[in-house]
Amino acid sequence: MGLALVLACSAAGDRTVPALQISHTADGDGTRLALVASHGIRINARLKPALELADGTVLRFDSPRLTADSAYFAEPPSTIVRMPWKDVHGTLRASICGGDAACRPLVLEL
Amino acid sequence: MPRHSLSFVTSLAVVISGVTALQSGSPDPQRDHPRPAPAWKNRSWLNADHPLTLEELRGRVVFLNFWVFTCYNCTNTVPSLVEFDRRYRDRGLTLIGIHTPEFPPYAGEHDRGNVERALREHGIEYPNAQDNDRKTWDLYGIRFWPSFVLIDRKGNIRYEGYGEFHVGDASYGLWSRRIEELLRE
Repeated sequence: MGLALVLACSAAGDRTVPALQISHTADGDGTRLALVASHGIRINARLKPALELADGTVLRFDSPRLTADSAYFAEPPSTIVRMPWKDVHGTLRASICGGDAACRPLVLEL
Repeated sequence: MPRHSLSFVTSLAVVISGVTALQSGSPDPQRDHPRPAPAWKNRSWLNADHPLTLEELRGRVVFLNFWVFTCYNCTNTVPSLVEFDRRYRDRGLTLIGIHTPEFPPYAGEHDRGNVERALREHGIEYPNAQDNDRKTWDLYGIRFWPSFVLIDRKGNIRYEGYGEFHVGDASYGLWSRRIEELLRE
């Protein structure tokens, strides 16, 4: 498994803190992608993260384990893309929420 | 160095810096100076028999709530807003929901029927505008769900804030006092 991609960071003094990372694991002919949130960041489960591939396909990240209120993922949501990691290109969207009880969109071109 | 990571660090730093900087329900101090509220032009409304305009609401206090039904922090705040509507509507408050989707249409947030269902589910009777093109969101410089803008009887923005709050908590009390202050003017 690789923890390949720093999606977002914040600077805390001299420390750079990744807010969200994407892990990739070979899964048969494809790749399993998972979104890993850092401490204090929650991923909105009511608006499942999506990866829009270049051909128009939309893959949704999901996980059966949610917080008790069903609002956030309790473990990294994942999806499988039928291509090797090196060929994964598209737009990743996630709704992330912080300790301030507000949410903001995260949009990223892979 | 992972693929792409360098550019991502730069492009998303603003998003995450907001995570640590915000406080629930707190106003942005730089925006506490009165300034004219921009006129929204949304055409699709629910709980209203015609598209409301800022101009026709002159003389009333207007409380805008930027929200989306997929946002848990937003729906958790709705009971407070329903209570504000119940307590203050007859005294001159108009509460308006500005329903602004986060994702593209495939997520269902743009669908009027889904918004209608959310209004029913949460007992929302105040007007709501669909802001599917995010023009009103951009017009007001909003960045987070939920966000709030309080406009006085003369059409000036007096208070702004963001973040979930609940009936009876400190932020609820703060917004109540602000509404009552503007209703007294």
